[in-house]
Amino acid sequence: MKDSPFKMVLVLTIITTISALILAFVYAGTKDQIAEAYRQDFLKGLKVVLPGFENAPDTEFKEMKGYKVYIGKKGGEVFGYAVRAVSPKGYSGDIAVLVGVDTKGDILGIQILKHAETPGLGNKIEFKEWRDTFVGLDKSDNIAVKKDNGIIDEFSGATISPRAVCEAVNTGLDILSRFTVGGEK
Amino acid sequence: MKLKTFTSGIFENNPVMKQVLGLCPALAVTTSAINGIAMGLATTAVLIGSNTVVSLVNNLIPTKVRIPSYIVIIASFVTVVDLVMNAYVHDLHKVLGLFIPLIVVNCVVLGRAESFASKNGLLESLTDAFGTGFGFTLALFVLGAVREVLGNGSVMGFDLFGSGFKPSIVMILPPGAFIALGFLMVGYKYLDERKRVKRGGV
Repeated sequence: MKDSPFKMVLVLTIITTISALILAFVYAGTKDQIAEAYRQDFLKGLKVVLPGFENAPDTEFKEMKGYKVYIGKKGGEVFGYAVRAVSPKGYSGDIAVLVGVDTKGDILGIQILKHAETPGLGNKIEFKEWRDTFVGLDKSDNIAVKKDNGIIDEFSGATISPRAVCEAVNTGLDILSRFTVGGEK
Repeated sequence: MKLKTFTSGIFENNPVMKQVLGLCPALAVTTSAINGIAMGLATTAVLIGSNTVVSLVNNLIPTKVRIPSYIVIIASFVTVVDLVMNAYVHDLHKVLGLFIPLIVVNCVVLGRAESFASKNGLLESLTDAFGTGFGFTLALFVLGAVREVLGNGSVMGFDLFGSGFKPSIVMILPPGAFIALGFLMVGYKYLDERKRVKRGGV
């Protein structure tokens, strides 16, 4: 059978058309589920930094210099704020940190949202034990790694990642301080 | 005959150990056993889809445009798998992330479409897809398990040695993938040779 150019074009067109139709169908079918999965992911982070919220902080937020400040409420009372802060000084790429504080400005928790640090070294910033060393600190504390005369532990072999996290936390606290008691200075 | 088609993809023609195809995902995502399995299953799903369609429509496709046609078919299945995984196994999708779309250029998939599915019927092609996919999954699982045990001291997320064990981090870094795969291939080759000699080969 001789393959005319016309037949080749026709066959390819048909195949791509069918593919496009199938993809459109699957995309429409999974779109909402994917959006929901991303939302749950983010809520999981918020649960760490605003423990015990009863509202939906991802929809209750205030815009602030391009940052979204998420508000956590318990029993109708505001009990904390959270913000996503980014430090570009990670060992490989940006580190995004979610910082939550209570109304007095003390840290309730931090959560690493995005990073590409080395597994086994820099990725220890994800460990709960290390992240919990931030809890209770506030803006007046010297949040920096011990190598920089701060109070946060670095890891042997990995100083850059914790340092970047500290920077992101400080950025976050700066923004949040406008909301907490004693802010607006 | 049927069984041979199935087992060939697992042992004699294992895509990773013997054909040395699809090494990009095999090396990149196998930092843990579970990642290896997930990547293997995603590839298997694509293989099954593409082998089925290619064996069905092959007679309608002019020879000169068969490769672009196969690629379009494979890419469609990969995108479907990508979307479905993102929707229903989101955490796993986050880990495998970039490597799911890269299944498109996994030579195993195109290789099976071109060298097997285009010349065989539906049932044979399906059997081949299951066999090859299972072989690929198995290879990735073993590689992932070895690296996880040595590099993290755990397997499938369960701690094996307790806190006294100092894992060698290099094993879950990229060089560890090459080192582990090298040793696994030696082991595979050794078994292969022994079997051949036992059968009376020289």
